[in-house]
Amino acid sequence: MRRDRAPLSRLQALALSGATFLLLVIAVMALGPLLAGSGWWWLCTAVAAAVLFGGAGLRAIRLPASLVPLGELLILLATLTLFFGGSSSLLLLVPTADTFGVFGELLGGAQRTIQQQSVPAVVVPSLAFGLALGTGLLAVLADLLVLTFRLPALAAAPALVPILVPGFLIEDGAEVGTLVLTAAAFLLLLRVDVRVRRRAALAHHDDEVLITAPRRTPVASSVLPTIGLAAAGLVAASLLTASTPSVSTSLLLGSGGQGALFARGVSPFLDLGRDLRRPDAVPAFSYVARDGDRPYFRLLTIDRFDGEVWAPSDRRIDGDNAVDEFPTPTGLGDAVARTQHPIDITVQQLRTTWLPLPYPVSSVEGLDGSWFWDRGPLTVRSADSDTSGQQYRATMLEIDPTAEQLRAAGSRIPESIQEFTELPEETPAPIAELAAELGASADTAYDRAVAIQEYLRGPDFRYSVEAPVEESYDGGGLDVVAEFLKQREGYCVQFASTMAVLARELGIPSRISVGYTAGTPTTTRVENVAVVQVDSQDLHAWPELYFQGVGWVPFEPTPGRGTVPDYSRPGASETAPVPERAPGTPPPTPGARPDLDPERQLASGGSAGATSDPVVWPLVTLGLVVVLLLPAGVRSWVRRVRFRRVRRDDRGADAAWREAMGTASDLGSAAGTAALTPREAADVLLDELGGLDDAGRRALYALRDAVERARYGPPGTEAPVSEAALVELVTALRRRATPVTRVRARLLPVSLLDTARAGRRSAARA
Amino acid sequence: MTGMPDPGIDEVGARAAAIVANVETVISGKREAVVAALTVLLAEGHLLIEDVPGVGKTMLARSLARSVDLTVSRIQFTPDLLPSDVTGVSVFDQSTRSFTFKPGPVFANLVIGDEINRASPKTQSALLECMEERQVTADGVTHRLGRPFVVVATQNPVEMEGTYPLPEAQRDRFMARISMGYPAQADELAMLSTRETASPIDLVDPVVALDELQAMIRTVSRVFASAPVKEYAVELARATRDDRQLRLGASPRATLQLVRAAKAHAAMHGRDFVLPDDIDALAVPVLAHRLVPTSRALGSHDHDSGPLIDTIVRRIVTDTPVPIGSARRD
Repeated sequence: MRRDRAPLSRLQALALSGATFLLLVIAVMALGPLLAGSGWWWLCTAVAAAVLFGGAGLRAIRLPASLVPLGELLILLATLTLFFGGSSSLLLLVPTADTFGVFGELLGGAQRTIQQQSVPAVVVPSLAFGLALGTGLLAVLADLLVLTFRLPALAAAPALVPILVPGFLIEDGAEVGTLVLTAAAFLLLLRVDVRVRRRAALAHHDDEVLITAPRRTPVASSVLPTIGLAAAGLVAASLLTASTPSVSTSLLLGSGGQGALFARGVSPFLDLGRDLRRPDAVPAFSYVARDGDRPYFRLLTIDRFDGEVWAPSDRRIDGDNAVDEFPTPTGLGDAVARTQHPIDITVQQLRTTWLPLPYPVSSVEGLDGSWFWDRGPLTVRSADSDTSGQQYRATMLEIDPTAEQLRAAGSRIPESIQEFTELPEETPAPIAELAAELGASADTAYDRAVAIQEYLRGPDFRYSVEAPVEESYDGGGLDVVAEFLKQREGYCVQFASTMAVLARELGIPSRISVGYTAGTPTTTRVENVAVVQVDSQDLHAWPELYFQGVGWVPFEPTPGRGTVPDYSRPGASETAPVPERAPGTPPPTPGARPDLDPERQLASGGSAGATSDPVVWPLVTLGLVVVLLLPAGVRSWVRRVRFRRVRRDDRGADAAWREAMGTASDLGSAAGTAALTPREAADVLLDELGGLDDAGRRALYALRDAVERARYGPPGTEAPVSEAALVELVTALRRRATPVTRVRARLLPVSLLDTARAGRRSAARA
Repeated sequence: MTGMPDPGIDEVGARAAAIVANVETVISGKREAVVAALTVLLAEGHLLIEDVPGVGKTMLARSLARSVDLTVSRIQFTPDLLPSDVTGVSVFDQSTRSFTFKPGPVFANLVIGDEINRASPKTQSALLECMEERQVTADGVTHRLGRPFVVVATQNPVEMEGTYPLPEAQRDRFMARISMGYPAQADELAMLSTRETASPIDLVDPVVALDELQAMIRTVSRVFASAPVKEYAVELARATRDDRQLRLGASPRATLQLVRAAKAHAAMHGRDFVLPDDIDALAVPVLAHRLVPTSRALGSHDHDSGPLIDTIVRRIVTDTPVPIGSARRD
C-alpha cells in the first residue's frame, strides 16, 4: 500500500483538478500585457476547463490512469475543433482531414503573427488558436504531473511557461500582481494536495495492525520546499524580466521576419537604399487601374524624428481597425474634390507585413490573413501574414486639391498634428539659414512648401544612390541633411528628409512615406487595361506635408524620380512628366554597403524596438537547453560525490543509502522520501517492486543494515559498505523501470528536492 | 545470580522467537499481543491488557509465564479484596511467639491481576506500590520481590458499573497497554477443536529457564540507544504535551519506558541498537494509555477509525520528523 499513490476519491481528484485549473488560468493571465483585449483569456479558460474537468470526469469513471492523458488530448482536439474547426468538422466536434488542414494553417499563421506583431498583439484567430492549443497542452501536462504522478510541486513548471514569456518579450515582464496571484494559486494547489494526502493517510489507518509502525507521509515537510520552488520560479521570472531588455519587443517584430522588407521597421531608409542599389530589379507587384491611375504605393510612414533617425510612430495594431472600411483621412475637408477608383493589386516577390497601397484608400478587399490600418497614417499592417501571394482590390480615394485650397489652409495646425513639426532644439546652421531664406520668399505655408520642392528639384541637385554611401552621409538625420545640402548629391531618402526637415523648420507638419513609385506599364492587358509592373527599383521615399482642410499631401522633391503632383506646381497647366526611371547604377562593392551605425541603432532602440540579432535565438535555445539539463547535471554530480564517499568509506553507508533512495525517488518511488526511516523506505521499495530479484534484495538489505548501524548503532561498529552492493541495487532499480521513466529520472531527478529537504532537517537538529 | 555468561544479541533474538512460537501454540493469531507482552517482560515493565472478557487475556499471561518457567500467581480483584490479600500478612506464630510474614500472591515472577478495576482504590494502590518499588514493606520489614517481577493486569472496558477505573497516575505505572481483539474466524474454529479435550496450557513446556531469562534481560538493558533516537523519543513525548487534542500528555516516565521497551524490541529482532522504527512500533502501546484526550476531541471523533487515542498517537508519530543521522554525522 503506497499511501501517496492511493486511489483518490472522486471529490479529492476534483479538488486537485480545480486547484490545477485555477493555477493555470491565473498563470495564463500573465500573458495579459502581451495581448490586447480579454477574450483570449476566456478562450484559454474554456480550453483549460474542458481538458482538466474532462480529465476529472475520465478519472471519475475509473479510466486507467495511463489512458487519462490520451483522453484529455482527445478532449483538447474536440474543443479546438469546436472553436476553430468551423464547417470542416463533423457535428462540430469531430475533426476531419480538412480540420487538420485548417489547424495547420492556423498554426502557421500563429507563428507568423508572433513574429510580426508588436506587443500588445491583437488576438487574431490564428493567435487565438496557438494560445488555446498551448493552454490545452499545458493543462494536459499539469494534470499529468498533479493527478497521475502526484507531484504537484512540479506543476510549477507548466505554470511558469506563461509567466516567463512576458519576461522575454517586454521590459516589465509579467505584472507583479499576476505573479503573486499565481504563487498564491500554486500554494493553494499544494495545500489541497496536502489535505488530500492527509485524508488518505487517516483513511488507511484501520488497515494497519495496531502495533506496526504507521508509515509516514511527508505532510508538513512537503510545503516548505515547494514554497522554495515557487519562490525560485518567481525569482527566475523577475530575473529574466530584468535581464532581457535588449531582447525586448524585437523578438516580436524582428528576426523571425528576416528577409521581409522593412521587417525591422526601424530604419527603413537603410533597406530602401540597399534595394535601390541592387543591380537587378526584382518584381514587387503589379496592378491594374481601370481608371488609369498611376498612384504612389505607400508601405509605411515614418513620422517621428529625433534629429538622428526617422522612425515610424510606435503604434500597436488595433483589432477594431479592419481594412474593409477606412476612416476619413486626417484633416481632409469636405470642400476637396474626391473620387473613388478601384485598383487590383497582385503581389509578386514583395514580402513584408506592410501592405502597398495608394494613399488614401477607402477600403481593401480580398486579403488573406488579418490586416489592420494604423490609426495615424492609415498604413496597413498584418498581424499574422504577409504580402506574399496576396491579391486584393483597393478602392483608392483620389483627392484633388487645388492650389487655392492649399493656400487657404494657412498656418493653423490642430493640436494632434503639432507633433509632426517637432525638431531638435539645435538645427545645424546651413539648414536654419536655408529655411529662413526659403521662408522669406513666400507668404503661405503652401507656397513655402512649393519653394522647397522647387529648390531641391533645381539644377544644383543631382540624383545619386551611391554618393551618400561613398561620402558616408547616408540616412536622414540632421547632420546628413546638412551634409547633403553641401554635397547636393543623393537619392530619395536625402531629398525626402531634407524637405521634411525644412518644412518642419518652417512650421509645416511633415512626415516621410516609404513605398513605390507608380511603376511601368507592360504590354499585358487585362480587360483592355494595361497591367502596370512595379519592381524593387521603384522603391521610393517622399515627403508628405499637412495642410488643414486637405490633410496630408505628398510632394516630390527628388529630381528625376516619380511624378510631381499637379497641385505642387502652381500655374503650371502642362501635363505631368512621365514617370522616369532612376538611372541605372553599377552594383555596389560589398565594402561600400552602408554600415549599420551602432549608435543610431541604440538611439532608435527606444522608439521602435531594437533590431534583433540573429544570435539571440540560438542563445535563447542554448539557454533553455542548459536550464533543462541543469537538474540532470546537478544530479550526476551528486551521484559522483556519493560514489566517491562510498569508495573512500567517508560516511559511506550514509552516502550509499542516499544514492540508492535518490535513484528510487528519481524513478518515481515513494521510498526516497526523506521522512521515511531506512527500514520503512526499504519496505516501501519492496512493496512497490515486488519482483526485485534476489541479488537486488540482498543488496537492499545490506545497505539498509549498514546505514541503520551507521546512523543509530553504537560508535565504532560501522561496517564499510561495498560499492558493488550499491551498483547492484541501483542497477536492479533501473532495470525494473520503463525506458520513459528512466529518461524522466535522468532529466527531472526529483531526488534533488529530497536532498535539499534532508540537508535542512539534519542541520536544524544539529 | 548465576555464573552463566550473558547471551549474545543474536541468541536473545532466537530465544525470544522461541518463546513467541511457544506461546502461539496456545494463542494463535495474536502475534502482536504476544510480542508486546514479551517485550514488556524483557524490559521489566508491567503490562495492562484491556479488552472484553473471554478473548484470552489470562491465557496469554499464563502461557507466557509457563514458557519461561516463571512462578505465576493470579489475583482475582473484587471490591472486597484487601491490600493484605495482595501483599501478604504477618500472622502470630504460637510456637515462636512472634509475627511471621506470610507472603501474598504478589511474591511471584509474574502476577496476573484479573479485572484490576474491580478492586477498591486502596487495594489497587497497594499493588501499584509493589509494582513501582518492587518490594513489600510489612510491619517495618522490607521484603524484596523476585526478579523479574512483572504484573499483567487486565481490565474490562465494557462492564464499568461498580468499578474503580485506574486513575491516570496509576495507569502511568504500566509500561504498555495492549488489547487482544477477537480472534480471526479460522483461529476461533481451530481453538474449538484444540480445547475440546484439555486446556492447552497444560501442554506448554518451558523453552527458557528462569536464569536464562534473567540473562536475556541483562543483555537487553545493554542495548545501545543513540542520541538521535533518544531525542526522537523525547520529541514524541513533548509533542503529546503540546497537542491540541490532548488534555494530558506523556510523563517523563513514559519517555523512559518508551526507550526501555524499544531496547527490548530491538533485542528481540537481534539488533544491539535501537532504531527509530522500534520507537515507532511501540509508540501506541507505550504511550496511548497515559494520554487523556480533550472532551472536544472525543466529541468530534469518528469511531470507525479506531480508538481516538491511538489515532492521535499515530498522527503525532507521523508528524514528528525522524532523526536522519547520528550525532556524529555533522
